[in-house]
Amino acid sequence: MSSKAEHTRTLIALALMLAAAAMIWSALTAASPAASAPLGPSIVGLVEDSHGVPIAGGEVVLYADGIPTAEATTQADGRFLLRVPDAALHATTLTVAIGRPHFEGAEIALTAAQQARLTQGETVALEPVPLTRRIDAAFWVAALTFAAVLIAIATERLHNTLAALAGMSIVLLVSYLGPLLHESLFIFHFDDALAYIDWGVIFLVMGMMIVIAVVEQTGLFQWLAFQAYRLSGGRLWLLLPILMLVTGVASAFLDNVTTMLLMTPITVEIAIAVGVNPLAFLMPEVMASNVIGVSTLIGTPTNILIGSYSGITFSDFLAYQTPGVLLAFIGLIVYSELTYRKELAAGHRASPALLKQLGKHAQITQPAHLKKAGIIGGGMLLLFIFGEHIHLVPAITALVGATALLLWIRPDMEAMMEAVDWTTLVFFMGLFVLVGAIQEVGVISVIADFIGKLVGENLLLAMGVLTWMSAVLSMIVANIPFTAAMLPVVGYLTLTVPGAESKVLFYCLSVGAAMGGNGTLIGASANLVTAGIAERAGYPISYAYFFKKGFPAVLITVGLSLLWLVIRFMVM
Amino acid sequence: MSGIVCAIRGGPESRPTIQKAIELAKESGLPLYFLYIVNLDFLSYTSSSRIQVIAQEMRQMGEFILLMAQEEAREQGVEARGVVRQGKLREALIEFAREIEADYLVLGCPKAVKRGKANAFTPEMLADFARGFEEASGARVIFSEEPCGDVQ
Repeated sequence: MSSKAEHTRTLIALALMLAAAAMIWSALTAASPAASAPLGPSIVGLVEDSHGVPIAGGEVVLYADGIPTAEATTQADGRFLLRVPDAALHATTLTVAIGRPHFEGAEIALTAAQQARLTQGETVALEPVPLTRRIDAAFWVAALTFAAVLIAIATERLHNTLAALAGMSIVLLVSYLGPLLHESLFIFHFDDALAYIDWGVIFLVMGMMIVIAVVEQTGLFQWLAFQAYRLSGGRLWLLLPILMLVTGVASAFLDNVTTMLLMTPITVEIAIAVGVNPLAFLMPEVMASNVIGVSTLIGTPTNILIGSYSGITFSDFLAYQTPGVLLAFIGLIVYSELTYRKELAAGHRASPALLKQLGKHAQITQPAHLKKAGIIGGGMLLLFIFGEHIHLVPAITALVGATALLLWIRPDMEAMMEAVDWTTLVFFMGLFVLVGAIQEVGVISVIADFIGKLVGENLLLAMGVLTWMSAVLSMIVANIPFTAAMLPVVGYLTLTVPGAESKVLFYCLSVGAAMGGNGTLIGASANLVTAGIAERAGYPISYAYFFKKGFPAVLITVGLSLLWLVIRFMVM
Repeated sequence: MSGIVCAIRGGPESRPTIQKAIELAKESGLPLYFLYIVNLDFLSYTSSSRIQVIAQEMRQMGEFILLMAQEEAREQGVEARGVVRQGKLREALIEFAREIEADYLVLGCPKAVKRGKANAFTPEMLADFARGFEEASGARVIFSEEPCGDVQ
């Protein structure tokens, strides 16, 4: 069989697979007909917290003359349905008691009129029941554990994954052993903890890791960097923005760390060849990767978290973030040209011998794999953009795309599975459970209350506070756990601040969390790996140097992006 | 075999080391080896699953840095070889020196000494540091710059 025929067959198989996946998904998500059977005598109600956020998992018990006769559990939307048994219909008093760990309980006595309706076989709808948060011992255990994990990550005392696992273990252990000492130490059940894991994020990240593992071995990045030099014609003021653009666009579709791991060595070579301090290229490149990644759902881990939580789609990110990101990128180019003007002016054209050596390093090593990855990547991009119309979540697109790529190129599966960064996936799982713990005990509510009181009903103030707070905190603490913790807070503000229902505050969080990483060396993993390689080439990047160059860039890029969001959501 | 081993990283800090090694090669007539050691410890910040790909990139960067040093030596009439190894700096350096039965190891002066932080790296400590290398590698250690040069 000819190779062309085999390719055609494979492509048809892939197309069929994608279509089948889309149809199955559509069928699964199609609305089922509502049940229309009569309920009989029953009580329905809604349980929510003081912010009006539904409370799931609340225990609802019906007492007839003080004797428990029926029970129910509140669903994800906070609603419950109590079917009233015949024996209870003749009781003198009927009381509904609602309990939920970490909340004060509530009791509602049914009126005589409500009881009469039940007797006639009707359904009684109660007024929404607000439960008040209770700050208990579990609150402090979860809050302190989360803070300790953030500190351990920021100070590099523990690996990210180990820190998250340790935090998760502590909250689970306290949940099960703590109540033996005092019931207020209970945080959540194991099943509830697992429910906080966002599998959409896990599968999306895993799928993209597989695609990246294929692309990174093709030599694409090195080739692109060398082409950037050729395109610039040796004019270094032009080479700088081209390298920034190549790095930024790659970062918008692949992860920043991989992009910088592959771009840094070839950039160092180009810089040495043209007699320029490599930091004059590397600093703008890494900053561009942190800025441009904001424009897509898969460009940064924080955007993946935000998209999955808020329902912001791939095309939403493109439409609402790209103009602001372009504005920020232009600002970053101007800033970089001015900051490194002396270094660039001191450079020269690369000698023919060095150019030859550079060209030797910058070759596409696996053209066939690159071509296949390009085709699959293009298909994935289309599904990311248009898949939302058939409720195709990004995680499925990433998984199907990755699987299709593996089927097509048939790599060594052992090696490919090793290329998946399992430590990061476990980190995410541990983190989700940990954030679930602080959400469960009310830490998130306290933060939301604080910010809510600070911004009131002022959307502009909320945007400013959220964006700059995220930017500043992302310089100090790891932005992934920070963003994960902030999502419920932003969700609350989206409900309470007039005008925020457009989800603009999630875009603010996206900008602050990603672009704020440019402020310090520890602000983003891409910064650290760039510094690691630069140091091994004899050009160390100190904390002070990074802050000196990066902090003004944060002010410029975050400021310009925020300006766009204000124009887009408050003026247009 | 015999020769001079000069471990370099690249960058302005390596220039005095490269120059010292070239001068020594000219004086002694011994073969000169520039050594670049790929160390991937910084990957602990991120996934370790990319080691092979990154190691390859770092090797190529090392070759490029060595090429610049070799060019500098050639301009001064010395033919030098470039060698890339992977691992911990000290172990890889000693291993290569023993492999070629090197006569000299040319090292850069530790930063703490250059910056006058006497309490961080005393002359005695520096001498111990050099002696440790000499005993392990069988080659004589020469530091490229003052004040480290005072130790010898």
